[in-house]
Amino acid sequence: MSIAELEAREIALEPGQGGLWRDAWRRLRRNPGALIGFTLVGLFVVVALFASVIAPEDPRFGDLSRLGGSCCPGPSFDHWFGVDQQGRDVLSRIVFGARFSLLIGVVSVAVGLSLGLVLGSIAGYMGGIVDGIIMRLTDIMLSIPGLLLAIGIVAMLGPGLFQIMIAVGATQVPIFARLMRGSILAQRENDFVLAARAIGVPRRSILASHILPNAISPVIVQGTLALATAIIDVAGLGFLGLGPQDPSTPEWGTMLTDTTRYLQTAPHLAIIPGVAIIISVLGFNLIGDGLREALDPKLRGRG
Amino acid sequence: MTGEPLLSVEDLHVRFGTERGLVYAVNGVSFEISAGETLGIVGESGCGKSVTSLAILGILSRNARVTNGRAMFAGRDLLTLNDEQLRSIRGREIAMIFQDPMTSLNPVLTIGRQIREALETHFGMDRGQADLRSTELLDQVGIPSAKLRLKDYPHQFSGGMRQRAMIAIALACEPKLLIADEPTTALDVTIQAQILQLLRDLVSERDTALILITHDLGVVAGMCERVNVMYAGMFMETGSADALFARPRHPYTLGLLQSVPRLDAGRRQQLQPIPGAPRNMLSPPAECPFAPRCRFEVEESRQAVPPLEELESGHHVRCFNPVPAEEWQRTRVGGAA
Repeated sequence: MSIAELEAREIALEPGQGGLWRDAWRRLRRNPGALIGFTLVGLFVVVALFASVIAPEDPRFGDLSRLGGSCCPGPSFDHWFGVDQQGRDVLSRIVFGARFSLLIGVVSVAVGLSLGLVLGSIAGYMGGIVDGIIMRLTDIMLSIPGLLLAIGIVAMLGPGLFQIMIAVGATQVPIFARLMRGSILAQRENDFVLAARAIGVPRRSILASHILPNAISPVIVQGTLALATAIIDVAGLGFLGLGPQDPSTPEWGTMLTDTTRYLQTAPHLAIIPGVAIIISVLGFNLIGDGLREALDPKLRGRG
Repeated sequence: MTGEPLLSVEDLHVRFGTERGLVYAVNGVSFEISAGETLGIVGESGCGKSVTSLAILGILSRNARVTNGRAMFAGRDLLTLNDEQLRSIRGREIAMIFQDPMTSLNPVLTIGRQIREALETHFGMDRGQADLRSTELLDQVGIPSAKLRLKDYPHQFSGGMRQRAMIAIALACEPKLLIADEPTTALDVTIQAQILQLLRDLVSERDTALILITHDLGVVAGMCERVNVMYAGMFMETGSADALFARPRHPYTLGLLQSVPRLDAGRRQQLQPIPGAPRNMLSPPAECPFAPRCRFEVEESRQAVPPLEELESGHHVRCFNPVPAEEWQRTRVGGAA
């Protein structure tokens, strides 16, 4: 066998390493923090998807006779997480609340991410005056505290579930736009972009197939972390009474508001939704941190 | 030279607007290249070699301006074409190989995808045709199991293989002119020879014209018929490789040759580095740009930029006080004795 043939065989036998994503996934699986994050988020998503199967009762169904004269009975065998001031089963409300939180988180991040991505890409790739205008606008938006901005937008649109999704999404737009722009600027000067231009690839394809795939990883990390922030923001808006106007809606933030009056006698009413919020936020944060490490270009090709 | 040159660049000037002022990167460069010819451009970092080639392709950075000059290619002045028109020439008629194969391939796309891109852009090939042609190309540049390697990502290739892949991309559309910008600088010496041999073979097979940009005199001597020595955005000396390396007439060329270690030099002979640093390019040249570092400087050197004058047939030198023709041979022999 000639050397070239031997070499060819050796190369053919080498284990095929995958691309960026398969590589990142492999590293992610070895990160204990990320694994915990995946477990928590997985749990959260399963609960949200199968809420109607898991929940023992209709979350809106209340039976005042369960209160038995005091507010409010704590955890018991019949009601694992206790009963709230309206005689509703807290477990059922938490389970259905997961559905709302997930929906709100995903929708608002999707709104923020897509708008931010488009604005950031335009600003980063076009540069010049377009960049100037978009970035000054995001500066203005960023100078207003996120929650305050969201409150302002809800005040404009009126309270409600859909409105707070939009509001929370809008507060995320400048964050994503700025991140995307920076990432694109860093990638735009790469040699392979110049090389692509030198073979006559149109500008649009260069942006779409050379710059964006390289620029997207910090945005994905930020997206995961933004899910956590969105859940907190939505709970915060709900707590302030800007959430769903139907008080029977099982939304975690709204649940917290309703129970402030009973803190002394029934602390579980506040603790349980609080813990639910913490767990879901923690899960997304852990995944986000894990992703950040897994996608770090400095670690590529290792592990 | 036979008939019409393929590319003829005349009096090219390029400036960059920077925070510290205008940088005069290229100051009146002219050259011609015909089909099948190999032309060398030699010079140190920052002398405007790469800028010249990027200007020809119209892919200079945003802060650069071509302020003067023409680049006639197939009857059209490349410098006056718009981006759309240039795109049909880039890669198709004129292709370029870059210095660093580590960064010139996109890390998130497969090698196959990156070769296909050129074919799809210029020939509108479908996936199957393009894959077939890509396999052929990778095979031609000497990558074993070409078909399998199309699915690989750049990080799975070694440096030499990446440069081979870059060559495959550049030659995908069979361009008439190939510009190789320091194609071997980032590679091991053993790989350098292989890549140069490959370039030489592919170029002569297809009668492609090659502009080889490098700072490596050895590479130029072995590859090129004609050589331009560039300094501070100007050609200081141009001529056939034979004449230029046997009888360098410009003090800068002589300096470059004397600063390269040689195995046939005497043990005691010291290398003679060129003193000083390259010219600050923030002002337009008003004197010989090499004068501050020059041993042969004369009074006129500080008063005007010397013109490029023909000393022998085909051998041009930009100097008021050219080095005597025998100087290089004399110092070599003298040192060795």
